[in-house]
Amino acid sequence: MTTATPTFDTRGLADLLDASSQEQLDALEFGVIGFDAETIVQRYNAVESQAAGLSPQRVLGEPLFTNVAPCLNNFMVAQRFEDAADEGSELDDTIDYVLTLRMRPIKVKLRLLASAGGAHRYVLVQRR
Amino acid sequence: MLPDDSQESLRAEHEALIQFLYLAPVGLVQADLDGEIAMINPISAQLLMPLSPDGCLTNLFGALEGVAPDLRLQCAQYPREQGMVFEGLHIHLRAGEQARRAPQILSLTLLKLDGARIMAVIQDVTAEVRRERQLRQSDAWLNAILTRISDYALVSIDRAGRIVEWNESIARVTAFGEHVVGSPYSVFYPPGAMTPEHLLDRLRESDRNGWSLDEGLRLRADGSQFWGSALIAPLPDREAFGLDDPQAPAYALILRDISDKRAASEKRRQAAFCDHLTGLANRRAFFEAAELELDRAAHTPRPLALILFDADLFKNINDRYGHPAGDRVLCDLADTLRDTFRIVDTVARLGGEEFAVLLPSTGEQEALNGAERLRALVATRLVATDMGEIAYTVSAGVAVLEGAPGQPGQEGIDGLIKRADQALYLAKGRGRNCVAAWTSHLHDNEDIPKRSRNAG
Repeated sequence: MTTATPTFDTRGLADLLDASSQEQLDALEFGVIGFDAETIVQRYNAVESQAAGLSPQRVLGEPLFTNVAPCLNNFMVAQRFEDAADEGSELDDTIDYVLTLRMRPIKVKLRLLASAGGAHRYVLVQRR
Repeated sequence: MLPDDSQESLRAEHEALIQFLYLAPVGLVQADLDGEIAMINPISAQLLMPLSPDGCLTNLFGALEGVAPDLRLQCAQYPREQGMVFEGLHIHLRAGEQARRAPQILSLTLLKLDGARIMAVIQDVTAEVRRERQLRQSDAWLNAILTRISDYALVSIDRAGRIVEWNESIARVTAFGEHVVGSPYSVFYPPGAMTPEHLLDRLRESDRNGWSLDEGLRLRADGSQFWGSALIAPLPDREAFGLDDPQAPAYALILRDISDKRAASEKRRQAAFCDHLTGLANRRAFFEAAELELDRAAHTPRPLALILFDADLFKNINDRYGHPAGDRVLCDLADTLRDTFRIVDTVARLGGEEFAVLLPSTGEQEALNGAERLRALVATRLVATDMGEIAYTVSAGVAVLEGAPGQPGQEGIDGLIKRADQALYLAKGRGRNCVAAWTSHLHDNEDIPKRSRNAG
């Protein structure tokens, strides 16, 4: 494993994030939302918490697409994870998107990551 | 400075409010009068992002332009300083192929707050509208029965839709004499308002639903027309007339002259089903008509043609002469379309300068002829505007659904639109002012670049 801090575009990022401590996640310069096979949010870092204006305790343990980020619940994001899970395939794609952080439209890049088993899944958020 | 605990409780309250807005199950947007978005909640992004042509949500009207082209105009034309511009406007979306459970119908409410701000409420009402449509049909039926009937013709027709007997009521309402016996009931419809397939569709629909009702222009024996409703119901005891006799009465057709109610029902229909600028069918009317036709073709296969028309280099017209002149050109195109096609065809404005004509029971050659007729007619027209006379041209793409929909390569209205769109792209590539038909060479998988809105 490299010692350099991973960036938004780092290859094999899912494994690095899996192995990262909360402090390491909080040190990243992009938003991290990690969720499990049932879409329950398991990881949430400081950048994302700050941008959304929500503290981790309001988010952790909640279903991502209905209770945390309903803006992602469409075919561009939620269905991509669903399709990958159905096919048992890996997902690693970056798309341009607009998030409504604190009710302001913010242009972002989203990186959608899911391992083949779908146990560890991430939405990563970088401002454009 | 506030004491710490008070500051902390303010912060918690603020966070709770933010989360309240994040989780509100309706879309909320605040924008300026040009649609530039100031605040927007997540459900709005969920619903609008898949529609947004440029993938950014900076402008509400821009995001919805492809599916509701006249929002900016309606908002600009709203005369009052504040108030409801419209409430619960239904916007029909084109279901993308990737989208399994994607919304098909959005409801949009637009409130003008003052001279500088509007507020929009956006909801996915797909399931609700389906239920409403069922109710509306029941309503229409009750209405037909309960409305005081001044006069009506009672006509019995056989299984093939032919008139079985003549009686006084037929003469009173339509002035047809006894010779009408044996003719199909389409004799009561003006030319172009009924196809032989539709004649049978309505009988089948009345078998399935217990009744079938339509409203529109009807024809008297002397060629004059009236606004009428036609209710067809299967005869309850038709078995008694003998199943073997194909000429036995099988349905009752009740024909009513409702000319006096036409104004009211037309107004209601227009508000919901007409494009604001041109008065043509809007997307909602188009997709409802398409759904009905596909449903009918699935039961009794017949060709269904779609022509997509696009005004050539329309952006140049707008840029050079201004939007009001551009609107005049669109209205002229709409009038020409209306005059060229049959009553039974659905002529609709799908967005911007894009128009569609759905032609039931029409094969490729006939559709090409119709498209060519329209193209040639438009090429001779000059539109008078404040900026002088404007000549314009159109290009057209034709696609035809042969046989039953749902077979491979015949994936419903989306597939048909896609093919007509590919043909239109071909016509544009041939230099515009041109009509092209979809062929298998334009295969779905072929890498045809998506037509940009401004490709002209």
